[in-house]
Amino acid sequence: MELNDQQQKMLEGENGSGVQKAMEILQAYGDCYEAERLIPVTSVHVAGNFPVLMDEGIEWLEELAGDGTKVRVFTTKNPEMFDPEQVDEMEIPTIYQVRQRRIQEALKSLGLVLTYSCHHYLVGNVPRFGDHIAWASSGSQVFANSVIGARSNRDGDHVALAAAIVGAIPEWGLHLPENRKAEILIDVDGLKFEEYEPTDYKALGWHLGKQVGMKIPAFVNLPSDMHIEGIKGLLYTLTVTGATGLVHLVGITPEAPTAEAAFGGAVPGTPDITVSQKDVDEAFYEISSSSAEKVDLVIFGCPQCSIQEVQEIAALLEGKRVHPDTQLWICTSRWVVTLCERMGLLETLRASGARVVSDVGAADGPHLYLKEKGVRVIAVNSARASYYAHNLFGMDTWFGSTGDCVRTAVSGRWEGKRR
Amino acid sequence: MILKAKPVTRGVVEGEAIVSHMPISFTGGMDPETGIIREPGHDLEGRSVAGKILVFPTGKGSTTGSWQFYAAFKRGHAPKGIINVRVEGVVAVSAIITDTPMVHDLEKDPLECIEDGDLVKIDATHGVVEISKQGT
Repeated sequence: MELNDQQQKMLEGENGSGVQKAMEILQAYGDCYEAERLIPVTSVHVAGNFPVLMDEGIEWLEELAGDGTKVRVFTTKNPEMFDPEQVDEMEIPTIYQVRQRRIQEALKSLGLVLTYSCHHYLVGNVPRFGDHIAWASSGSQVFANSVIGARSNRDGDHVALAAAIVGAIPEWGLHLPENRKAEILIDVDGLKFEEYEPTDYKALGWHLGKQVGMKIPAFVNLPSDMHIEGIKGLLYTLTVTGATGLVHLVGITPEAPTAEAAFGGAVPGTPDITVSQKDVDEAFYEISSSSAEKVDLVIFGCPQCSIQEVQEIAALLEGKRVHPDTQLWICTSRWVVTLCERMGLLETLRASGARVVSDVGAADGPHLYLKEKGVRVIAVNSARASYYAHNLFGMDTWFGSTGDCVRTAVSGRWEGKRR
Repeated sequence: MILKAKPVTRGVVEGEAIVSHMPISFTGGMDPETGIIREPGHDLEGRSVAGKILVFPTGKGSTTGSWQFYAAFKRGHAPKGIINVRVEGVVAVSAIITDTPMVHDLEKDPLECIEDGDLVKIDATHGVVEISKQGT
């Protein structure tokens, strides 16, 4: 990969050791993908929290920030482990508080904007169509490529941080228009979309992700009035069972007004993948890993709940009480909590026994200490949360609609579909 | 046997090979406290990759894998060299931030040429892999 004079100086350490480390990462990464040059990025998002960083990762961040290194690009941060404003009432162990504070200090020193949100595109990190970006977080990365039409590879945190510090990213993969063409055709004709809730799109994504793998699919015959929550449900789940970075939703994705545009030419005569309602129903059951009756925790927010989702949960909970042996958590960003407070939702939710938790997501962070507190069976409306909570933290998981989950919180027993 | 390869990082390392025919995810798939592969059903399940030359097809799974690899490295439980059939970002970055010698795209399929226990030398700086069969 060719470097210009300024980039060469960064590599030689003229701008400090943190910038040098960032440039070394980008140079090696660019070389292994045979990138020819670095191109400017306009937006970065960083994902990792303590459960994956561990103590060594914190030390790596502190060393990077050590000599005053700063990001040059607007950079936001994914959720953390707990809500810093509820540490006492939620009895967060001191060892985690100390670690989260160290991560926060290092990120603040680097100049990141501490959104602690995985719906960062709802709280200010909005790239334009065609922008080159580095978003580490597979769900929002596929959202950026497929809904906004910005361009991001499946970069991890180290590359994303290096890109933020240098202000550029190696030009390879999805940054190049010729690599953004659809590779397989998926026809979803025949599914009962008129009855679909976002949860059903998640089951569809779960089923298809396994077949899509790393390929770029084009979907035809999706309903033209598909709601953004359905789109998020489909895309965020496709990257759990698969590893695709871009999905052409024909008629929705900016680069795919037609199937021809998605493929950049001839469309396959017959679809590579078709799907029946039975496949989707089967996937729906498969997402659950539990068979236990009693549910310890109902947890919403993977990705973090939007204000519309919180409103929906609040309406379903109206006049009801969460069962005394079951907890109900609504995980979201501080911005949405502020809205809830202003609109009186926070009061209503608390009165019903629900907890609104800021700065965390339902998939990973909190499960580290929830498990230590005896939480074993959880109910979620997110396939992604079910997968990570089960595989990374050993939680028993039930998957169902928002309505199923709210009814479960009230009765304390699983009220949704089961095989 | 001497094979040409494409470098991902630099440096030279020599050690005992451990070979997997399945992609590896460092987040969830490898225990950073021990270097033991813990993914259920993986062909290396229950075996440690610590201090070995790890030969496998490619990476998969969470992009946070490079944090878990780094933690394993600092605790002395990471493999000391990596040979991949095809490079993937998470594994590449794991090798880059730990200065672990790593190559990919060998002139012959490493999964066929290398067996568990072979003595393997990676010269990532020059893109060369040297394989000595056990007992020869």
